[in-house]
Amino acid sequence: MASEPRFDRVFARFGAGLFTLGFRMKRVVDIGVLLSRSGMYTALACASRAGVLRGVEEVNVDPNLDVAFRVIERDPEGRADRYAPLCREILKGSNARHIFGCTTSASRKEVIPELERFDGVLWYAVPYEGFEASERVAYMHSCPNQHLLPLLDWALPNLGNRSYLVGSNYIWGWELAQIARERVSAAGGQVLGDRYLAIGDTEPDHIIQDIQALKPDFILNSLVGESSYAFMAKLAQAAQNLSFSRPTVISCNFTECEIEAAGEAAEGLVSAGPWFEPEGARGGSFYEMARQSVHELARLLHGRPGAEGLPLSDLLRSATEAGKSPRLDPTHLHARQPAIIARLEGGRFREIKRLVTMRADPYLTSRSRPTQAGAILKVVS
Amino acid sequence: MSRIRTENLGGAIAWILHRPHPSVQGLVRQLGVIGLEVREAWPELPAEAIGADFIFYDADMGHDEQFPWPRGQSPMPMIALIGSEAPGRLKWAMDVGAHAQLLKPVSDKGVYAALLVARSNFDRANASEAMIADLQNRLSARQTIVQAVMIFVMKGMTEAEAYDQLRQAAMAWRVTIETAAERLVANHSNERGKDDGRRVDLA
Repeated sequence: MASEPRFDRVFARFGAGLFTLGFRMKRVVDIGVLLSRSGMYTALACASRAGVLRGVEEVNVDPNLDVAFRVIERDPEGRADRYAPLCREILKGSNARHIFGCTTSASRKEVIPELERFDGVLWYAVPYEGFEASERVAYMHSCPNQHLLPLLDWALPNLGNRSYLVGSNYIWGWELAQIARERVSAAGGQVLGDRYLAIGDTEPDHIIQDIQALKPDFILNSLVGESSYAFMAKLAQAAQNLSFSRPTVISCNFTECEIEAAGEAAEGLVSAGPWFEPEGARGGSFYEMARQSVHELARLLHGRPGAEGLPLSDLLRSATEAGKSPRLDPTHLHARQPAIIARLEGGRFREIKRLVTMRADPYLTSRSRPTQAGAILKVVS
Repeated sequence: MSRIRTENLGGAIAWILHRPHPSVQGLVRQLGVIGLEVREAWPELPAEAIGADFIFYDADMGHDEQFPWPRGQSPMPMIALIGSEAPGRLKWAMDVGAHAQLLKPVSDKGVYAALLVARSNFDRANASEAMIADLQNRLSARQTIVQAVMIFVMKGMTEAEAYDQLRQAAMAWRVTIETAAERLVANHSNERGKDDGRRVDLA
């Protein structure tokens, strides 16, 4: 008996070989992509999609990661009612548990019940209005304490107290206006008006007239896609023809991926977000946060076969126990992010202010504190 | 950063009166996410719960004796945790004073809405009660003033003289007109009481 090779020893040696081999070969994990390639917000969704696909390419050739991703893609074509059935199709028809996608909050709300029913996780990497913390969603972009509040805190002292709010006629536009109204009022400023346009509505003439009459110091533009480009074009045109001084337009959702579509009219816009395209690179925060999300999932799954089937909170907890430091807060599954404020000049965003990386505060109930110790005030005696 | 639409929820204290059970795990998680401090109790709320900002209570196995205040008189918003939608249990949950409700098992949805709805209903109920009490006071005070004026009128004054007399009495006693009227009416009733007694004796 003693001379016979013991099974577990043989297995250990064989297993180690397999492991080495497997490490080079990578295990393949299916992931879903649910982003629109047509419709009213194509530029945004396509930027997210390009970021996801770029992230997948990078992960798949990275020799330091033992996972490779295979993409199962569905195109909702910008139609809210297509998101839920296509999400279900991915979750039922493939092994994919992690889906990268959704642009509007309306579409995110559509897919959450499907994620609950069929055990999926949505990696949602665009700015949103907060007041949500689904156990099924990895919120990988920023929420109002990371975009709108820093932007208003910059705008009020620098541009003036008189604001005007425009937005798309759904939850993003409404809630940003609501939060802005409270922030502006608390700072002693005025909200001269708020107006909403349906997604896709490109007739903002009545709003332009209102703005000409009221002459605000700045306009918070929370319009999405085509409405936003039309609004800024009409505003620039009115400023030229009627020689009124155009108020500064600020936004939490306008990024590099829309510069081309918006054209010259967007010049001077001030935007807030976790990322602006560095000199010589391409891709704004929609692209970059989507790309980073894919890398984040790859890091969480690396060296842990089967971890892709874990619920998101378990995945994060076990990753933390394994010595990794996930970007998502284990409490509410929102990412830590810096807040950067930048102005569009000559077709590029130039950074004008940067706040250090901070925790998300999706329900705006805690005072935001910088996560870096260096930023904490020290008592000097 | 200043508080925005928090309704003072950050750091607020919520007691959950429910036996430890998976159906309330989602509630504990979500309250933590929103920023509240969670405390759990079963089968009774301790006295310190009187300082809570919110109470979540089990509508399925709950009973009146669990609460350190009379039925329907909680000093904070109450949210019923409903499993069984049987009419008897629902009636109890409402009698206890539900300002909002959540269905069990509690998921990651609905908790924030329940907090805001409960707070709003609680505030509205309190405001209504305060207004009713104020109106009742004013109504009875007005009757008292009329009674006091009538006492002077019966003694031969005009109505204008009677009001002036009442005003002067209030000034002399350094009290409100309502309080002066109350005293005058009380004194008068005492005198009348003696008179009545005498009359009974005489009869």
